[in-house]
Amino acid sequence: MMSLLYSLLTAAVLLIPPSSWKTDTVTALTNARIITITQGTIENGTILIQDGTIIQIGTGVDIPEDARVIDLEGLSIYPGMIDSGTQMGLVEVGSLPETRDASELGDLSPQMKALTAVNPNGVAIPVTRVSGVTTVLTVPSGGMLPGQAALINLHGYTPQQMFAGFEGVVLRFPATGRRGRFDSRSEEDIKKAADEAMKKLNDTWNSAELHQRIDSTYQARPEDGRRPEYVPSMEALRDVIRGDQTLIIHVNTSKDILAAIEWVQTRGIERVLFSGLAEGWRVADKIAEAGIPCLVGPVLSVPTRQSDRFDKAYKNAGLMHAAGVKIAIRSDDTANARNLPYHAGFAAAYGLPLEEALRAVTINPAEFFGVDDRLGSLEVGKEATFFVADGDPFETATTIHHVFIAGYEMPMESRHTQLYEEFLQRTPGLHMHNQD
Amino acid sequence: MTDRMRLKTVFFIALLSVAINSAAQELPTGDLLIRNATVLTVTNGTMENTDVLIRDGIIAAVGEQLNAPQDTPVIDATGMYVMPGIIDAHSHIGISNVNESSAPVTAQVSVGDVLNPYSIAIYRALAGGVTASHVMHGSANVIGGQNETIKHRWGLLDPDELRMAGAPRTIKFALGENPTRVHGRGNNKRPASRMGVEYVLRETFAKAERYREAWAQYEEDVKTNPRAIPPAYNSQLEIMADILNGDIMIHCHSYRADEILMLLGVLEDFGIDQITLQHVNEGFKIAPELAEFGATASVFADWWGYKFEVYYSTAYNAAILTRNGVLTSINSDSGELNRHLYHEAAKSQKYGDLTDDEALALITINPAIQLGIGDRIGSIEVGKEGDLAIFDRHPLSIYAINQKTVVDGIVYFDIEEDADDMRLIVDPESTVDTAVIHSHEDTHQCLYEGSLDLYDFLESN
Amino acid sequence: MLLIDLQSVYCLNHSSLQSIMRIHYFVFAATACCILLMNLPVKAQVNSGESVPDVTRTIALTNAKIIPSPGQVQERSNVIIRDGLIIAVGPDAAIPFDAFEIPADSLTVYAGFIDGLSHTGIPQPKQQPEQERPDDPANPPDELAGILPYRDVRPLLDPKDKRIASMRESGFTAAHVVPRGRMLPGVGAIILLGGDTPNEMVYQGETALYAQLSGARRMYPGTDMAVIAKLRQLYKESERRHRADRLYREDPTGLERPQYDPVHYAMFPVLEGERPIFFHTDGVLDLHRVLSVQEELGFPAVLTGLSQSFDAIDKLKSADLPLLLTLELPKEPKQNKKEPPADSTETPPTDAPAELPEIMHLDYDPDHRVTSFTDLESEKANLEARRTIAYKTHVGNAAVLESEGLSFGFSTGSASPSDLLTNVRKMIEEGLSENAALAALTTTPAQILGLTSSMGTVEVGKMGNLVVTRGSIFDEEGQVKYVFVDGRKYEIEPPKKTSGSDADAEANPAGTWSLSISSPDGEIAGTLTISGSDDDWSGTLIVDITPETSQLESIAMNGNVLTFSFDAGEFGNITSSLTLDANSINGSFDVPDIGPVSVSGTRTSGPEKSTTVQ
Repeated sequence: MMSLLYSLLTAAVLLIPPSSWKTDTVTALTNARIITITQGTIENGTILIQDGTIIQIGTGVDIPEDARVIDLEGLSIYPGMIDSGTQMGLVEVGSLPETRDASELGDLSPQMKALTAVNPNGVAIPVTRVSGVTTVLTVPSGGMLPGQAALINLHGYTPQQMFAGFEGVVLRFPATGRRGRFDSRSEEDIKKAADEAMKKLNDTWNSAELHQRIDSTYQARPEDGRRPEYVPSMEALRDVIRGDQTLIIHVNTSKDILAAIEWVQTRGIERVLFSGLAEGWRVADKIAEAGIPCLVGPVLSVPTRQSDRFDKAYKNAGLMHAAGVKIAIRSDDTANARNLPYHAGFAAAYGLPLEEALRAVTINPAEFFGVDDRLGSLEVGKEATFFVADGDPFETATTIHHVFIAGYEMPMESRHTQLYEEFLQRTPGLHMHNQD
Repeated sequence: MTDRMRLKTVFFIALLSVAINSAAQELPTGDLLIRNATVLTVTNGTMENTDVLIRDGIIAAVGEQLNAPQDTPVIDATGMYVMPGIIDAHSHIGISNVNESSAPVTAQVSVGDVLNPYSIAIYRALAGGVTASHVMHGSANVIGGQNETIKHRWGLLDPDELRMAGAPRTIKFALGENPTRVHGRGNNKRPASRMGVEYVLRETFAKAERYREAWAQYEEDVKTNPRAIPPAYNSQLEIMADILNGDIMIHCHSYRADEILMLLGVLEDFGIDQITLQHVNEGFKIAPELAEFGATASVFADWWGYKFEVYYSTAYNAAILTRNGVLTSINSDSGELNRHLYHEAAKSQKYGDLTDDEALALITINPAIQLGIGDRIGSIEVGKEGDLAIFDRHPLSIYAINQKTVVDGIVYFDIEEDADDMRLIVDPESTVDTAVIHSHEDTHQCLYEGSLDLYDFLESN
Repeated sequence: MLLIDLQSVYCLNHSSLQSIMRIHYFVFAATACCILLMNLPVKAQVNSGESVPDVTRTIALTNAKIIPSPGQVQERSNVIIRDGLIIAVGPDAAIPFDAFEIPADSLTVYAGFIDGLSHTGIPQPKQQPEQERPDDPANPPDELAGILPYRDVRPLLDPKDKRIASMRESGFTAAHVVPRGRMLPGVGAIILLGGDTPNEMVYQGETALYAQLSGARRMYPGTDMAVIAKLRQLYKESERRHRADRLYREDPTGLERPQYDPVHYAMFPVLEGERPIFFHTDGVLDLHRVLSVQEELGFPAVLTGLSQSFDAIDKLKSADLPLLLTLELPKEPKQNKKEPPADSTETPPTDAPAELPEIMHLDYDPDHRVTSFTDLESEKANLEARRTIAYKTHVGNAAVLESEGLSFGFSTGSASPSDLLTNVRKMIEEGLSENAALAALTTTPAQILGLTSSMGTVEVGKMGNLVVTRGSIFDEEGQVKYVFVDGRKYEIEPPKKTSGSDADAEANPAGTWSLSISSPDGEIAGTLTISGSDDDWSGTLIVDITPETSQLESIAMNGNVLTFSFDAGEFGNITSSLTLDANSINGSFDVPDIGPVSVSGTRTSGPEKSTTVQ
């Protein structure tokens, strides 16, 4: 009975950080190998944090007397990993519609905000962060313009506390490829559907551009302008059209990627990220030329074509990097977004330079999302969001010892660890005391 | 003129690296000497600078500086790691049908009748070091169809040549959400609940007992009365009777602890003492009961959360089961995961600190034992079949890449020699640039929507 | 009951056929008969509102070239049909006084073709009513589940089914037809492809049980594996009921009365070896599955379909079952424009379908690697080359069976009737011998269907089922002129030529042309070369059987008609008129004392060729 209650309460318990110290106290992590990402690796170094921020970093760091000191005894500190594509907080149990808040009805709902529906108590959140993934992009998924993705830190009691400073409008670009094994449409039907979707996208964009022009005119001269009609979906696209907000385009096949590049250039969209890019390597030169950063993944995936080499999905990120594409890596997962380091690790095993693989889950996405002043590397002035590992975080067996998010030290517990603790040696075991 | 060229690569490599000792009707086997490797035997520890000699597809010797006949093909594996061929205890590759979902009991059907040696998923598994797969019926039915244990002999075109001859017969059972959704909610037929699942099991076994009795009576009667008429033939109850007789091993898709205990109770009542639980995400909760029954478990490394019956899961499942004395394997149930089972096994070191040998056993000797072929494959021992994977690093490292996969002493995958396009057949009416995008979303949908098990997404029959 | 006798397969001897043709080239010179006496006053059945009524049931085809059976030729012979039977064959066969005579000097007579298996005469149901859902999908009624082994195809026949006439236009005179359906659609019949009522059409009923690995929708058996399991169940329980039924009929004393049921009882003739199962296989996986279940249960079987059987030759050999190969072929892959290699001085690539696969074949690299985006062009070319090889492999399936010594008949299955002869010709192009092709259309299906005493050859006593063609049936230009079914004459309209070129534009004949000259004794190949321009043409002609090159004279282009003359030695001065249509040419040589001989050809190189028309 106790154990049942215990597991039911687990989710709530895990969110409570240890309160034996306050964040305005200086915390010193000493004797660490510090992988800063942007400023090299510091052997035997120290990081000082206070009020959620890194205040010092280096080897000859003076540690205040009242500082809380954590001697890492040679362990390594990495900036928290950023997963550039999940549905964290939006989906609790995949098969249960009541627990899914990732999709709204309709094709055109760019005004929907993922951040609104993020459940800070999602069980997958602690499961993910204890693996060193501290920050994720959580992405809505229904229709052509499903809404706005949000970058969130995996700690906080409200969505606003979790918010990590970036929201982008998602566009699922009209796809000419097949959508999985059960897509048995004819080539003609696929093309027709794609053509229709393309027309709808262009019609939408024409309207949005017009709406934006009317609005600009009205803003400049409200006295003689007409206020634009209230169309929330169009208002949501206004900042993208003005270049004030990022458009995240989900696109996968080579043909679609080329079409998306052309569309972006024709429409003159300034801030664009591509996401997915299963066949990015095929048109890597064109993507590089267009200079569009890419959120690539999942890496652990099967090739898109039967005739492709068995390892093409693993090699994709490396080939794109070699062609000059700026990449981040995403898991495209939720329950197992904790496997982000393995996606990066496989990309590294199959040709992406290790250093670049690390950047692809740290500073690169931070730059793409415009939060590199806060996240993505270990530098003075950045948020104290990092983890401590006993080795290469991409290696499967590596253990994560500490996780800090914005200076808060996370409990290294999750449903998975709790169940382990409880059931490794279950009591009672096979028999109760009062039984034989 | 013919399309034989497509086989060129496969057999060219085979000829280059091994001498195929193939009689006309027999399966090809090879001779092979692997030199100077780090040999991960799994059952006898790790041996440095060691040779492995395969003769006629069987491991003939493991040791230093082995002698072999002069024409034996040699692989210099200096700096490489040789491990037993990986065995996937739960897969749906290489078959044309997965679920016969029209009935809650379909014991009479067998995926072995619909093997597909052309499925590229077999080659891709081979590339991940997997040499054998337990290809299973899906989980739509309480009592599903019979499974087949195959070896990944890529390039042999007769479906019979995929079969691992002599491997014990197995059958798929399934509890919980899938059968209750398909039959209860889908067809308004029992079972619609876990209570109904138990009843379907008990009813079918009870009928099989009576069927067995009726036939035994007939066999008796016909001795004295040549005009005796046999009872009605029932192919479904024939198979059920074979289960009761211990001739077919049960592999049961199951998640929740309560339903697993129910199953153990049913089996006990019908005198069945063998069971491998598949997925068994809540196995950790009843590890002592499983150990006591002698049940074995075949689990995911870390899959959870895709439906309610896997919500209370832990990635430490394999470790808890292992530490409680339950023989455990890690399977893929997927045409994606099966390409990196060595990585899935390594997760048991992150989640529960299993030793290298324990972790490797999860994907080699343990699944072999669960499939009743532990005396033939699953470890590197003299007398066992020459199924090996050769990695450039320790296979539990994320950076390890499989270099060659050997089945029956023949190199069927070679990362250096193989072309990109390894399809065995090409549809002349296909387009050359058809792309299918597989996302994790697809993967999860397969678990709870259209189909019932995560299957091989790659097949396009 | 069917007689399955595949032991007496014809020995196909290509070289003997060639020598016959060579001999008759010289006969060609001496044959001064009227080749073009074909303007018979018979209206084409397809276009006329009303057929001229037949006044006699006796027909004489005179002076025809007769192919009595594959590999045999009888020149200048008569075939006499009376009351639906062939009553005389031979050069001296007397023409009865009541015969309707068809001078057939330039025509070839074959035995009527026999379709080994199809649904000809069984129209596709117009709109399937919304399928009934059974109460229990696990145990649906047999009829819903597609298990109808008792259903006879004969009541389903519709003489107005359009496929009957269109099959006949391709030379088919009889067909083994089975009901449409799923796992066990029913029992087949041999029908004649002529007649006004179902009864007239039926030649023989209760031929065979038709089976296919085709599951029911959303009920048991749904999948292939369930169809196989259901077949096992059905077969073994039928065996039991058969035994029970037999014991009861021998002596009912003390035995519970076995209850009749249509499904299991319909299997009894199969169990008794009297009714084979014609098992359809669509692709090599089906083939393996059907062979396995057949070997396991041991029922008498004929395999039909057999696409991709090139991948299962050894298994087919050891199964030793009669085979009916489908005449369906995959669509030929569209050829993508291929850029010539930059450093190549070769002539520009052409779009000749016969040639390009060879070029691409050479280009296929089975070890091809794609390392980055820079390799995509070579990847595409390689994949296309591989697909072309795959296409040719499918087309070459028949040739593989022949070369492996596996005798087979053809079945039309669901192939479009207009593709049937074209597909046979494609198979020949990929190596199938003409004798084997003819056997597969006539004698072998006759043997498999137990029809050797009545069909399959042009012999006295056989039914008056004949195909009469101008030119070889296997030649691209060969045309079916008449089909006789049960002694009834059907005249066939030539297919309309489709013209892709502008008739007003003056075509350019320059280039090299591969010609086929239809002598009454067979096809003779030739090469025509034209060069120059406008009114300054020159050219040569080489006919394959003589070493001399003839210089062309008086060459002129008028619109798209090319005329010239040449000295043909002992044949005199031959004049020619040929009509160009892009890269094909059709017309005749006017041979002194003989008359016009039809000529057709295709351009193998030349200016028109490289600038693709269309």
